[in-house]
Amino acid sequence: MTGLGRDLLRILRGDALAMAGAIIIAVYCVVAVIGPYVAKVGLVSDPGRAYEGPSWRFPLGTDAFGHSILSELVVGTRPIMEIGVTAAIMTVFVGVTVGLASGYVSGLADAVIMRVVDVFLTIPGLPLVLVIAALIHSSSPLVLAAILSIQSWAGLARAVRSMALSLRSSDFIEAARGQSVPLRHMIGRQLLPNVGPYVAIHFLLAVTGAIYAEVGLFLLGIAPVSGTNWGTMINIANSQGALYSARSAMYLLSPMASIVLLQFGFVMFSRAMDELFNPRMRVLA
Amino acid sequence: MLSYILRRSLISFFVIFVVISGSFFLVRMMPGNPMQVLYQQLVQQGGLTPQEIDAEIKVYYGLQPHGPLLSQYFQYLADVAQGNFGRSIAVSSATVAHIIKQALPWTVFLSAASLLVTFVLGILIGTIMAAFRKGAMAKVLTLVTSFFSAVPAYVSALILIWQVAAIHHFFPAQGAYSPSVPVGFNLAFIGSVLDHAVLPVTAAVITGFGGWALMMKGSTTSTMGADYIRASKSWGLTQRRITQTYIGRNSMLPIVTNLALALGGLFGGALFIETFFTYPGVAYYMVQAIDNRDYPVMMGCFIVVTTATVLANFLVDLFYPLIDPRIARPGGAARGAAERRKSEAAEQATAQPGVAA
Repeated sequence: MTGLGRDLLRILRGDALAMAGAIIIAVYCVVAVIGPYVAKVGLVSDPGRAYEGPSWRFPLGTDAFGHSILSELVVGTRPIMEIGVTAAIMTVFVGVTVGLASGYVSGLADAVIMRVVDVFLTIPGLPLVLVIAALIHSSSPLVLAAILSIQSWAGLARAVRSMALSLRSSDFIEAARGQSVPLRHMIGRQLLPNVGPYVAIHFLLAVTGAIYAEVGLFLLGIAPVSGTNWGTMINIANSQGALYSARSAMYLLSPMASIVLLQFGFVMFSRAMDELFNPRMRVLA
Repeated sequence: MLSYILRRSLISFFVIFVVISGSFFLVRMMPGNPMQVLYQQLVQQGGLTPQEIDAEIKVYYGLQPHGPLLSQYFQYLADVAQGNFGRSIAVSSATVAHIIKQALPWTVFLSAASLLVTFVLGILIGTIMAAFRKGAMAKVLTLVTSFFSAVPAYVSALILIWQVAAIHHFFPAQGAYSPSVPVGFNLAFIGSVLDHAVLPVTAAVITGFGGWALMMKGSTTSTMGADYIRASKSWGLTQRRITQTYIGRNSMLPIVTNLALALGGLFGGALFIETFFTYPGVAYYMVQAIDNRDYPVMMGCFIVVTTATVLANFLVDLFYPLIDPRIARPGGAARGAAERRKSEAAEQATAQPGVAA
């Protein structure tokens, strides 16, 4: 693992954009962890301070209620990251388990599982998430994360299955089968390490996908609002008429910039991961 | 070829069936079942006998609220097969089918225009990046496309409305056409429709083209590194032939597969774009229905959208053998190729976060 870490550092040093991505993600993680301790969003609105420009006290200015926009951004980071990462973990867990099992077991079970995957792959994801979120209407982060990953596991499962299929016929699997190791050991110790790199990259992309959909749900006001996050910030800015006022630029742009920057960070960092695990890329690039 | 078409159409039919069944059971089995809520409301209003209440609910959902679950289910299947999705709860006097019939052409128009522009622009930029991948321009292009592929549809839509429409008034940002022009096949109306489509299409293109460009670049780059390209060079084939027949066709394969998958993603973006631009398409009505707890409209829109996506997938499946004849060949090879194609598509789909969501 230390070898991998050293490789990653080397790639990051050589690729400024990937390095920037790594730093962006690290900063967001730190903010998500310490955010609620260092910043507070006031409950009392102060109309006299509405739409103030940037100042020492309010580095990004204030919103329609006179609250500090920076504080709201910082406080809003945790719920977004929390749900996004949880959803990605669920996506990866289900996708890898189903994919490995399906590819290794094969036969009728495999055929059935793959038809189910086909169904999920064909249904448009975001409308499905929207409909289910509207019907379930839960404010629990775990439920929300589960809803967000309801479709995304399918693509991963299919890819992992095709890898498992090609691994099945490899020599070391043959050897393990000769020792008649249990299925759990076969999947956990033999197959999993070989699909790990692909899964790691998919995890990063699953986080960006989940965050995109999650902010969208809050933005449309479909997920029940609990506390401050970027989606509700844009939603409120929108309903306060921020689109039709030049004064509210900071209010509208700050949460948007936060999302775009984070997504950009993930995309750039996943490039470094790609290069790390996929040596062919290094030759061609 | 025939068995290939048959298999594809069976799968498509199966998916549509699953979605309709899923819709029924979702609405029916949810805690706080919307049909029961409506029932309670009608009971509380008073003045209706239980029979009248049942009849009322049947009008909205097309279901007998107290019948056995299975007979309700078959009733629902039969109704949906005939295009009967019940009535809107929020907009009285409108059937769901009527709303969808009015909205669908706008969504088809907007999606087709968005997809066309996004696709052409993306492929163009991707090819340029692959052709000049050593130079500084490729670096800049990669940075720009990566950045835009990280912009969600709601961000691009809101920023366009805010900057281009609300502050500078370059293009209209509301509706599909101006209410002051007569609806029909005349120049003023067509002009107004195009004028109103500019911003929604631009919003979709901004979020979409980056993914296509990066995909095209990746696909072309890996095709160019393949052994058969090196071999074709050593045979002394003309550059033109290598580029068009060997690189072009092969690097287009994953792109075409993604065209079908992208339709689902495109509609995901349309949910935000149509909503913010109050563009009267299916996505707009679906979000409205969710806001109003208008479940018959919501499920109707969802079923129509999913069916459309499945049919589009099916069409791409039909045309796919034209590009890659290996697919439709009978026997094991065909199956292998089809499997490979799908798994490639799944891998590719993960490479563009905005679209995959």
